[in-house]
Amino acid sequence: MANYGTSQFKNGLKLMLDGNPCSIVNNEIVKPGKGQAFNRVKFKDLITGKTLEKTFKSGESLESADVMELDMQYLYNDGEAWHFMDPDSYEQYALDETAMAGAINYLVEQDNCIVTLWDNNPISVSPPNHVVLEVVDTDPGLKGDTAGTGGKPATMNTGVVVQVPLFISIGERVKVDTRTNEYAGRS
Amino acid sequence: MTQFLKHSLKEKSDQVKKIREFFFDRGVVEVTTPVLTPHPITDVNIDSISVRVNEGINNVSTLYLHTSPEIEMKRLLAKGSGDIFQICQVYRDNEHGERNFNEFSMLEYYRLDFDMFQLMDEVAELVAELGLSNQVEKLSYNNAFVRYAGIDILKTDFEDLKSFAKENGLSDDFEWIEDLQMFLFVHFVEPNLKQYPICFIYDYPAQQAALAQVEGSVAHRFELYLDGVEVANGYQELQKSGDYRERFQIELDKRKALGKQATMVDEEFLTDLSSPLPFCSGVAIGIDRLLATISL
Repeated sequence: MANYGTSQFKNGLKLMLDGNPCSIVNNEIVKPGKGQAFNRVKFKDLITGKTLEKTFKSGESLESADVMELDMQYLYNDGEAWHFMDPDSYEQYALDETAMAGAINYLVEQDNCIVTLWDNNPISVSPPNHVVLEVVDTDPGLKGDTAGTGGKPATMNTGVVVQVPLFISIGERVKVDTRTNEYAGRS
Repeated sequence: MTQFLKHSLKEKSDQVKKIREFFFDRGVVEVTTPVLTPHPITDVNIDSISVRVNEGINNVSTLYLHTSPEIEMKRLLAKGSGDIFQICQVYRDNEHGERNFNEFSMLEYYRLDFDMFQLMDEVAELVAELGLSNQVEKLSYNNAFVRYAGIDILKTDFEDLKSFAKENGLSDDFEWIEDLQMFLFVHFVEPNLKQYPICFIYDYPAQQAALAQVEGSVAHRFELYLDGVEVANGYQELQKSGDYRERFQIELDKRKALGKQATMVDEEFLTDLSSPLPFCSGVAIGIDRLLATISL
């Protein structure tokens, strides 16, 4: 596996740090007036999702991480794992609960999303920014409310609870922003 | 676009005018010193740009663009110039980083009978005059380390400091303790200084004295950080020729150890200092960084 030196550091570069694959979020070269140059780097740990900060002296290097992001289709959940398929190769991948993390709330069968592979093992999944979910439970709507003021909680077919306008009723399909968990309109 | 250019040129011109007036009001005299000098700087981490001159008249020699006007201004101080300031372009080789360039504007000035604390106060007044009048934070180098890294940097020897770096997953591959101190400062302290619009760090470890007076384990040196960006570096100045010789030699020895260009000590300068510098403090301020912070 190739190594990358500090002079090759750039945003988005995937490197191994303390045994985990990480992505560079920010790379700042700092040269004190009376000192040598250092790289102060912010990483995102691709497994835990945590942000880390580390400083390197010029010339240090890190091993590159074999990380790929692939568009995949979500197939089904068998009770233990979530199964995805690469539509190009038809290869299937099983993700555990840790890798699914926040995506569990938004994935409906047949949806497309991005799965991150490290050494060909799935480590995380990002749902699309907007998904269409079905309301399975909510209080009856109030007639005449169309402006969406106030709002009420509604449980979706994935189990996630989203604040929706009062006029939304059970069985309706709504658009949800997965980054903010907010209602984004009727589907 | 033209409007924007005109506006920003005018803004800078007005600010530089304010800087000049600030010093004129205080009786500080503006000077101009040579940019082309016969000796490169000795600092191990600053490289001079060399210039070949007089090739066409068969009298080739190599001169160096000044990296700051410090040496030339100190010659004037030793000759009895009194309080002086200078605004000039300076040049450095092998600079890299978002805020480092081969050429930048510098304000350098010296105040007789000022100690480091008086000079810090005056620099704060100047910065306020230019439009940045937030509360001023002053933090000793050691207190900064206690607060943000949990260690007493003055009492930690090289071996223990290496262990500390290693425990924190950082490189401990350093030749000299001062480099490791700076590395840890950049990692642990500097990011925390972003919370202060104006912050002075003072009393550096003696190993980072540069050309500042040393008292016990600390050097009377300070730096100014604006929003976490290093903007100025000041000293309560060394006065005696012999002390300068010693400090230059330390840097030249380091340059040799690293295989960098290392010339002779500037004997002419040391001779000029046979009558020592008066007690004074001086500071170099990066004007581009300073004005960029203020106009934000």
